[in-house]
Amino acid sequence: MNPEPFLQLDRVIHEKGRMAIMSLLAASPELAFTELRDALQMTDGNLTTHVRTLQEAGYVAVAKSYQNNRPLTTVSLTAPGEKAFAGYISLLEQIVKQTKGK
Amino acid sequence: MEPNWAEENLQVIRTLMERSALYRRAMAPVMAFAGATGAGAAIIAEKGAAAHLGFATYWMLVCFATIGGALFLVRRQAMRDGEPFWSSPTRRVAQALYPPLFVGLVLGLVVLASQSRPEPWPLLAIAWVFLYGLALHAAGFFMVRGIKLLGWIFILSASALSLARLIVPDLDRTSFANAIMGATFGGLHIAYGIYLYFTEKSRNAQ
Repeated sequence: MNPEPFLQLDRVIHEKGRMAIMSLLAASPELAFTELRDALQMTDGNLTTHVRTLQEAGYVAVAKSYQNNRPLTTVSLTAPGEKAFAGYISLLEQIVKQTKGK
Repeated sequence: MEPNWAEENLQVIRTLMERSALYRRAMAPVMAFAGATGAGAAIIAEKGAAAHLGFATYWMLVCFATIGGALFLVRRQAMRDGEPFWSSPTRRVAQALYPPLFVGLVLGLVVLASQSRPEPWPLLAIAWVFLYGLALHAAGFFMVRGIKLLGWIFILSASALSLARLIVPDLDRTSFANAIMGATFGGLHIAYGIYLYFTEKSRNAQ
């Protein structure tokens, strides 16, 4: 088996929690922090840590605003994030093909 | 590492993306509109203003008008948000709603054509409430979870009304059928619309 695709996998995305966050964001223009938390059943702290890691990699953007005088935090994929996620999926597909072709 | 981990990861990604693409239009205005139409139509029917149409024809027309109005509201929201109206989540919700609503239409037409006496309007109204509950429950799989609960409330209401028809005599009147339509399609929608008005706004706030 060629280890090349595996070695190319983006380590920022290749973590269960962050991969889940990226997957949810890939299908929505943006999601509220609470929506992400509820969908993934993560704690606030855990989600904050993962979102910060993704933000530092430039894959997600975090926006803070107010809705009915209550703070609202939304998270969305950035263009580099979309590209990195598409690349990650493409590599996974390559690995699946290789595994099946063995 | 298991050899199929990559396939499992892809499956997880696919599942999460589908879950994320839930139907997210604000339902409070749609529910309030449906409720107001249902309650208003029941009042008009009780005053006898639509007696010339007959129960089944009148309520089927009300149903078409309500669906038309709801689609208009949803389309307006989509345009305002700069999103496509006939999106993938919208399509899935519509596909879930169609079968029970279609059965309701066929049932109404069959009862109308059969011209049976006494006219089975309360029974038809209860059947419609059952079918609408089933439609909401099916659509609830692709919408926020409260819709599924509303579907159950319609189903349970229809069950209770079915029992009431057995226990209480003299309920086979058109006015009772109109009351069923007003209380369920009017009252339940309005109540849910009010609930959504307060919860939809604060749902995303933290």
